[in-house]
Amino acid sequence: MNTLAKSLPVPVRTPAAARLDPVWWLGELGRREPVLAGTGILIGLAAIPMAFAGVVDPRLFNGIDVWIKPVKFATAIVLYMLTLAFFAGWVSGKDRRKWWFNVAVRIVAAAALFEIVYISYQASLAQASHYNRADMLHIALYAMMGVGATLMVAFSGLLALLIRRNPALNVAPAIRDSVVIGLALTFVLTMIVAGTLSAWGSHWIGGVHSDAGGMVLTGWSRDGGDLRVAHLFATHAMHFIPIFGVASAYIFGGGNRLPIWLFSALFTGFVAFLYFQALAGQPFLPFIE
Amino acid sequence: MDAETIFRIANSVAIAGWLVLLASPIMPKVAHYVSAMAIPLLLAVVYSALIMAFWSGGQGGFDSLEHVAELFRSPELLLAGWIHYLAFDLFVGAWITRKARKDGIAFWAVIPCLVLTFLFGPAGFLLFSAITAAKSVPSLKGAAS
Repeated sequence: MNTLAKSLPVPVRTPAAARLDPVWWLGELGRREPVLAGTGILIGLAAIPMAFAGVVDPRLFNGIDVWIKPVKFATAIVLYMLTLAFFAGWVSGKDRRKWWFNVAVRIVAAAALFEIVYISYQASLAQASHYNRADMLHIALYAMMGVGATLMVAFSGLLALLIRRNPALNVAPAIRDSVVIGLALTFVLTMIVAGTLSAWGSHWIGGVHSDAGGMVLTGWSRDGGDLRVAHLFATHAMHFIPIFGVASAYIFGGGNRLPIWLFSALFTGFVAFLYFQALAGQPFLPFIE
Repeated sequence: MDAETIFRIANSVAIAGWLVLLASPIMPKVAHYVSAMAIPLLLAVVYSALIMAFWSGGQGGFDSLEHVAELFRSPELLLAGWIHYLAFDLFVGAWITRKARKDGIAFWAVIPCLVLTFLFGPAGFLLFSAITAAKSVPSLKGAAS
């Protein structure tokens, strides 16, 4: 019983109702890491006018409405910021009060804001943000996005290290391992996939270079390779593996780490498969329209 | 969604906000949340979206009257300009209502200020400021209370 209680991601004394209340959750994330939670909430609110701009704007980019990209990036960055805020609460209080931790948090927040502001601004001009090599200014800004994105992703690697070395963390070993591995894999796998994406000069490999006719919701290419697939799963390691960790703690016990390591190996293999599938110019689940 | 549809929806929403202000003596809290927050924020979202979508396609600028006129030759930017009026006029109307209530100015004296703000924005603000100034004269302390 004690292991089970320890395996829950939130203290058991919290009333069940509070755990389903989104306002309570935003407050809780703010208590864990105010800068990251605040940045996430701000970007989430910015997505509201962006979405409405998509409704009124007739312009297309790569075959789809210019505002789809900023709304997708805002959604992804909100989820990323709020997840980082959640896991930052598992870093020891001693580390969280260190100056370098607070500098790192602010760098991540600044990078996220720059990313979303530049992507939205370029969308408002119906111009590319990523891969925009039109002139020196746009090359420099694209390079800055790369630096910012690297710093943002590196922070999940830092969290993995800090959570691993927190002696006071009161969660089951299976959960702790799943979070540490998930955050570390988000960093390592995203660096590999996104690095390739950037070096390749396009996320499309073969097929028609257009978002029109892409997979429902994600927009992934249906007739060629698309490195965005591997990017999504690589970056969401921080969600998939800890969620498996919680399920595994219930089913196989909070002290049993073996399922976590096996699942992590499988997940890495899956991302590698997606990566090479895209490089081979093959679409992911081409039967889904 | 075309500019004409957005115009009609925005106008109706703004008028609803003004009607709520007229009912503010019986429900001041609701009037505040609806007419000073919900509706102006909604209009602000629509305004921001229009600017995000159409500003880069517009001609002109803020630096000369001719350039401003050029901006408003784009129907979508003209619509954005109109929604700017709707949002800020209503917000000022709600501010007048709240301040009058706090300062003990009778609602019958507020109504002409609201009507003027609704129709001619700054003129209503001017009238309300005049009433506030007049009330600060010692011999007129109790007037319009």
